[in-house]
Amino acid sequence: MSSSAEATGGVARAARHPSTDRPHRQIAAARPRISLFGALLLAPALILLTCFFLAPAVLTAVFAFTDMSTSTGIGKGQYVVTPNLLRELADAGLSDEVAEAVSVETYTVDDAGLEAAEAGGVDGRFLKNIADRLNGETYTAAREFERALRGLPDAPRSPRELKLAAEHFGQSVLNQRFDTSEELSATLAEVAPNVSEETRDRIVASSYTGAVWTTENFHTLATQRETARLVANTFLFVSATLGFFNLSLGLFLAIVLFYMPKPVNSVFSTLWLLPRITPVVLYAIMWKWFTWEGGFLPVLAEQVGLPSFNYMKGSVVTAWITMIMVNGFIGASFGLILFSGALRAIPVQQLWASEVDGATRWQQVRRIILPQLRWPILFVTAYQTLSLLSAYEQIWLTTNGGPGKTTTVWALEAFRTALSNYSGNLEYGLGAAMALVLVIVGLTLSILYLLLFRFGELVSKPRIEF
Amino acid sequence: MTRNFSMLPLLLVIVLVSLPLMVMYGFLVLDTFTDAPPGELWPDRFTLRHWRFLFDPTEVGNVWAASFNSLVLACSMMAIVLSVSTTAAYAISRLHLPFRRFFLAGILVMHGFPAVTLIIGVFFVLNLTGLYDTMIGVILVKGSLMLPFGIWIMKGFYDAVPWEIEMAGVQDGAGRFTVWWRLILPQVRPGLVALGVFAFLDGWGEYVLPRILAPSSDIQVLSVFLNELIAGDQLGYDFNLFKSVGLFYTLPVILLYLIFQNRLMNIFGGGTKG
Repeated sequence: MSSSAEATGGVARAARHPSTDRPHRQIAAARPRISLFGALLLAPALILLTCFFLAPAVLTAVFAFTDMSTSTGIGKGQYVVTPNLLRELADAGLSDEVAEAVSVETYTVDDAGLEAAEAGGVDGRFLKNIADRLNGETYTAAREFERALRGLPDAPRSPRELKLAAEHFGQSVLNQRFDTSEELSATLAEVAPNVSEETRDRIVASSYTGAVWTTENFHTLATQRETARLVANTFLFVSATLGFFNLSLGLFLAIVLFYMPKPVNSVFSTLWLLPRITPVVLYAIMWKWFTWEGGFLPVLAEQVGLPSFNYMKGSVVTAWITMIMVNGFIGASFGLILFSGALRAIPVQQLWASEVDGATRWQQVRRIILPQLRWPILFVTAYQTLSLLSAYEQIWLTTNGGPGKTTTVWALEAFRTALSNYSGNLEYGLGAAMALVLVIVGLTLSILYLLLFRFGELVSKPRIEF
Repeated sequence: MTRNFSMLPLLLVIVLVSLPLMVMYGFLVLDTFTDAPPGELWPDRFTLRHWRFLFDPTEVGNVWAASFNSLVLACSMMAIVLSVSTTAAYAISRLHLPFRRFFLAGILVMHGFPAVTLIIGVFFVLNLTGLYDTMIGVILVKGSLMLPFGIWIMKGFYDAVPWEIEMAGVQDGAGRFTVWWRLILPQVRPGLVALGVFAFLDGWGEYVLPRILAPSSDIQVLSVFLNELIAGDQLGYDFNLFKSVGLFYTLPVILLYLIFQNRLMNIFGGGTKG
């Protein structure tokens, strides 16, 4: 690819050492050296970005097509026939004979059984009896085996103890874990030779505990009514936060502070920067104190006779206002910082000239400042749309999508489905499918923005090429 | 500029808009060393009992262990971000690499891309690699997610270094590594400081990643510790105590910010928070 540059590097190197013979060998030797240096410098970044940026994105896409959840586990599953599974299969039309044949328990006296019995605390002399007299015997019914045991000289008296001892030798395909389908199939064939191969395959297939490939997640997302509400909530949240706070308030603060004396400017700039630098947990706690009953606003409302309740979670309207403000106060500082920088870049002579011509402040803002802030405004809109679309941290820590699910946005629902809910069954597959939607939207938007904000200039070639 | 308008109404509007922030941050500090009668807002007595948690572990648990974990997370992340983005950014800024344009585009897309959406995928990666529930996993993830930002910032600083410096070094017979280490790195020190502080603050304030990816209590960081306080019911809602712990947690942030204020402002515009 860059052979020309490397060759030039080689020539430059060779030119600096004119005493060395055979310059073409120098070129050959220099080529790997230069690219090696670059590769060495880049390698750590490439490795980390591949592992923790690309791989998660790819895995999100892959696992979006599985039904992975807490019960299937992550990674490879196993094959287990459980009584529950047999019951389900029986409901689905599996004949009772097959179910019985599969769940039959056999008793074999072998080393494994003896060990299990010893570990289970069965009397040593009795065990020795069993090992001596019954070794290698197989019984298909519990009663038969127990009768055989009772006949031994050192057998315990109580039937219960006898039963317990017998259980150690019991073998059943039920609840046994198999790593491959072949193992389970072979064992089933041994236990229940009469069951047809078709039925066996069906049992084996449905006994897999791991995740399986499916497009069910996307089907669910496309058909459930919840989706429409999530999309509507997300749209409302992003547009309201962006419109009221990140853009309007940010722009307003930036312009007004631009005209204010320096001390006022720095006091308010610092104040509005605080939400951005405050750790998110403390920020959430401050909002809780501000809005919960017993906190600032409810107490204040009670003193002046207004309805006083937990504004963060008590009603849908106040929850929405709280959620938008929590995110908006952070977002406003982003706009403020960016717009302030852009304002300082406007040549002050333009403002002087307009004042000489008798322009009012409003005219100045409308005709000089706003037109020159077009790109920053576009940038803030673009950039913040993306970060608000995927924002859930503040919402999770404050309203947590409540009351009910009225303030739940897409990103929060994806996060909660996959990683944090109270029902205990985390649906990784469905969550990944929801995240995949966000990843695709995010990727598309960021590539679009890249083209919009003149990517060519940003990535122009380095000035030194040797 | 002339004052051809009255500033007072605008000032009033600004104060009004900023009032929630003023109240929240004012009471954040005030409440940590005062007590108010129940049902009242304004405190009526001075007390230091909210700060007892600093040396009395029975109050809220061991806050120092959590602080240590937070410090480990923030410092390791800073080390990763600094070292990796410094080297990678130099390569991108100065060396003629294959796929340079493609790589740069990738960095930019990743920079704009909201990394929080990747947390589910990251969870899979850590589970498959066995790094789930370890501090190392959290550090690697957090550091990697900040890399595009770090590389982009450092590339900007490298681009501003005049290439004559490099040329002079090469003329005197120094290798590329020596030139980079002895001549160029000192030139971008402001960028290193800003990025380092930024990475530290980011790691110190992080909540979601340690909470989700390393839920064990023995590697609990301060942010998780603080949120457990308010989530756990046993303490009731003693907001004065929460605020004291919170202020203790935020003090390093404020200190660092005050010290490095001007340097940080240069790159703050590029942050990725909502």
